Amino acid sequence: MMHDFTPFQRLCLAAFLALPCIALGSCAADGAESQGVSLYVALDEQHSKRLVQRFEKESGISVSARFDTEASKTVGLVSAIVEEARAGRPRCDVFWNNELAHTVRLAQMGLLAPYASPSAAAIPGQYKDAEHRWTGFAARARVLIVSKELIPNPDDYPRSMYDLTDPKWKGRCGIARPLTGTTLTHFTALRHVLGEEDFEEWVGGLFANEVQFLQSNGATMRAVRDGKLAFAFTDTDDFHVALSKGAPVACVFPDQIGNQPGTMLIPNAVAIVEGCPQPEHAKKLVDWVLSESTEALLAAAKSAQIPLRASVPGPAESSILGIGDFRAMRWDPVRTADALSKSAEEFAKRFGM
Amino acid sequence: MHQLPRTVAIAFYALFVALPLGVLLWETVDGPEGFGFSAWSSILADPVDRAQLGYSLALAVSSTAVAVLLGFGFAWLTFRTDLPCAGLLGPLGIAPLAVPPILVAMGFADLVDAAGFVPCALLLGISYSPFVAVLTARGLRSVDGRTYESAWLARGRFAAERMLARLVAAEVAAGALLAFIFTISEHGVPEFLTVKGKNWHTYAEGVFANWQRRATGVTHEDIAAPIVAAVPLVAVIVVALFVALRLRAHSNLRGDPRPLPLRRLGRWRFVAFAWPLLYLAAGLGVPVVVMGLWAAGSTDLTEPMSLEVVRQSFRAAFEEAGDNMAFTVAVAVTTAFGLVAVSAPLARIAARRTQLVDYLCVVPLAVPAILLAIGFVRCFNSVSAVRVYDVTGDFYDSPALVVVAYVARFLPFGVLTLSNVVRRVPTEVEEAAELCGRGPVARALRIHGPLMLPAMWSVGCLAFVLALRELDVAVVLPAGNPAVVRKLSNIVHFGGEDMGGALALLLLASAILVPVVSVLITGKKLRSLS
Repeated sequence: MMHDFTPFQRLCLAAFLALPCIALGSCAADGAESQGVSLYVALDEQHSKRLVQRFEKESGISVSARFDTEASKTVGLVSAIVEEARAGRPRCDVFWNNELAHTVRLAQMGLLAPYASPSAAAIPGQYKDAEHRWTGFAARARVLIVSKELIPNPDDYPRSMYDLTDPKWKGRCGIARPLTGTTLTHFTALRHVLGEEDFEEWVGGLFANEVQFLQSNGATMRAVRDGKLAFAFTDTDDFHVALSKGAPVACVFPDQIGNQPGTMLIPNAVAIVEGCPQPEHAKKLVDWVLSESTEALLAAAKSAQIPLRASVPGPAESSILGIGDFRAMRWDPVRTADALSKSAEEFAKRFGM
Repeated sequence: MHQLPRTVAIAFYALFVALPLGVLLWETVDGPEGFGFSAWSSILADPVDRAQLGYSLALAVSSTAVAVLLGFGFAWLTFRTDLPCAGLLGPLGIAPLAVPPILVAMGFADLVDAAGFVPCALLLGISYSPFVAVLTARGLRSVDGRTYESAWLARGRFAAERMLARLVAAEVAAGALLAFIFTISEHGVPEFLTVKGKNWHTYAEGVFANWQRRATGVTHEDIAAPIVAAVPLVAVIVVALFVALRLRAHSNLRGDPRPLPLRRLGRWRFVAFAWPLLYLAAGLGVPVVVMGLWAAGSTDLTEPMSLEVVRQSFRAAFEEAGDNMAFTVAVAVTTAFGLVAVSAPLARIAARRTQLVDYLCVVPLAVPAILLAIGFVRCFNSVSAVRVYDVTGDFYDSPALVVVAYVARFLPFGVLTLSNVVRRVPTEVEEAAELCGRGPVARALRIHGPLMLPAMWSVGCLAFVLALRELDVAVVLPAGNPAVVRKLSNIVHFGGEDMGGALALLLLASAILVPVVSVLITGKKLRSLS
């Protein structure tokens, strides 16, 4: 049979048979990268990858970055860290979470190592762990994204989380399901801020008002962007992505008047994993992530994160307010993290998962 | 020496199929309070589990119906009738197989509000219809036209058609079953549509959600219950596969059949032309056009679509996802070779010794991919496995784990295809070579190899394409993080449709590389579906 092949065909066959060797070679090359620092990033890959490359260039330390899927955001990486700890071999050096509560939860489980980064000196104490196991920086706000097409007059814009339960907007507004990520943290924190009774009343109002519960903040943003919903809760980075693509949307920082709870601000959090393979590299990476220049880059990037330090310039987009320009909701990360698993379980049952 | 490939293949099955699934099963009885059947005693007791299983079954049945309608219609019209351009359309029928289901979903979701149960069933049906089309076409080609004509002359056209239906039924059923198995365990598309705004969940989504919530304190029962809940599902699939294998054993795939006489469509000829076009447009055209439009900047309202934007999108795709593309293609190529290497010895055992191997090898397909991957995590990220890595290097964190998971997942395709070929090789040929005193290597190279080479090539091509589009395993296994399909779904979620479109087109171009190489090597034109 072999003699049926022409020389050219034999050449093609040989080249194709060589492919696995090349493939395995490239796999081996990937494995060699494990000499650098291993970073688990829950911040959107689109936003964080360039920053990671910048760190590599500046420090000469290679970074093996692992990102999460949109559907399992945050929880996927937290699960991975927990699984690795259970197996007795942490693979992650640095965990860069795009929200706070799950990081606090990891600290409570004893999976994070203390490190007081000099870069974090100017970050307000309320965003840092007293035992230095995690540090917050560059935050996102939980805002209302509003369709300018469906609500052309700014005077008609919703201004509060209670607008979701207003019959005026019945079936025309949305929020992500509070199963993972910032929405789970938001709901869990709200339960404490509002009190059990008021919170249950509000959640009951959401169901009664036929609020659309979508899978993610990206989904709520798209629903408003495409004119399917008049407004929805989302994060400022998702709002900014829509705005930068020319979508007719506006941003409202909710609950700013009277005794309303204020707008929830959820910082990123960075931490070193206990027993990680490259602790020294991990410290350098944490220092870099917490530096003012990185916070400024995050503010200037598409994710338009809000710097926690007043000295760092905020996002160029004026509708995303700076840290002192709005009233932030006061919430307790430790208490929220304590209640996270109960909330996750309860909402999973409520939402059929 | 001649036992080595067989030993390696059996060891592979034991290590990468039996062990992960065994560990999962063990964990359902080995709870924090010791050995017990608490998870089993409440099998399907949770209404959420029942609802998810119900949705999965309903979705799989509906999707399979769509796949059969589209795939069978396509194959019948292009192989059995005088449809215009049938010679051109027929080979194109396999092309939608190169399109990952997630791309089909993204394409349609961009055009219409694809969020409910019906759109999901339609999308999955479209994605998996090539299985039905390919196997139906194979069944139609295997029927001898002379037999059909004899039946027609003796008993009339209706009887001849009935006979034809009986002869191709096994292949159609096998195609439908493949579509059913893939759709019932599908996680990626229902999850994507959830992100787009649906409020019901499949069983695979439930398993994944429970698995992910483990970190926030979900109990052992919560984790074990969905795994136990899968048992009836797996049992149903195994029975269905068993039936399909029995049907297949009776299918008419021998000899050198003459083509079937073509049915004249008359004035319906051009009307019928719409069906294959619909099949190709839905499975290939829509995703490709939408991805092309995305790459041209259709989702960016700040500037008009242009070739310059296309150029920028492709440049961004190369810059930001070039590594991912290299990783995906490398893994797919290695999977293709690995699958052939493992399947060939197992196929010989199945054909020459015991058909039990056929049944054992379909197990990875009967188990939802998400569950198989979780089994890999539990097995190869365990305390004892980690101790082994101190000596061998970290297998769990390496691309090799992704490759073996893909090979395990696609093992049924390799073993069933190759065992079918081995069965058709007369044992006399092998015995003659052995009597002539040729060693096992010479026999493998000169007898078995050449006879099995075309089938091995087909298996390799299929594994390559399936590995490029596999999402569920890549989502669960951390080492699969760089896979392009996984990255694609993230990019689109994060509003990067322009780069995502370019990346999707690159992925599709990679998938069609294999048929092009095939043409280069064999010098033959692609003349038929399979």
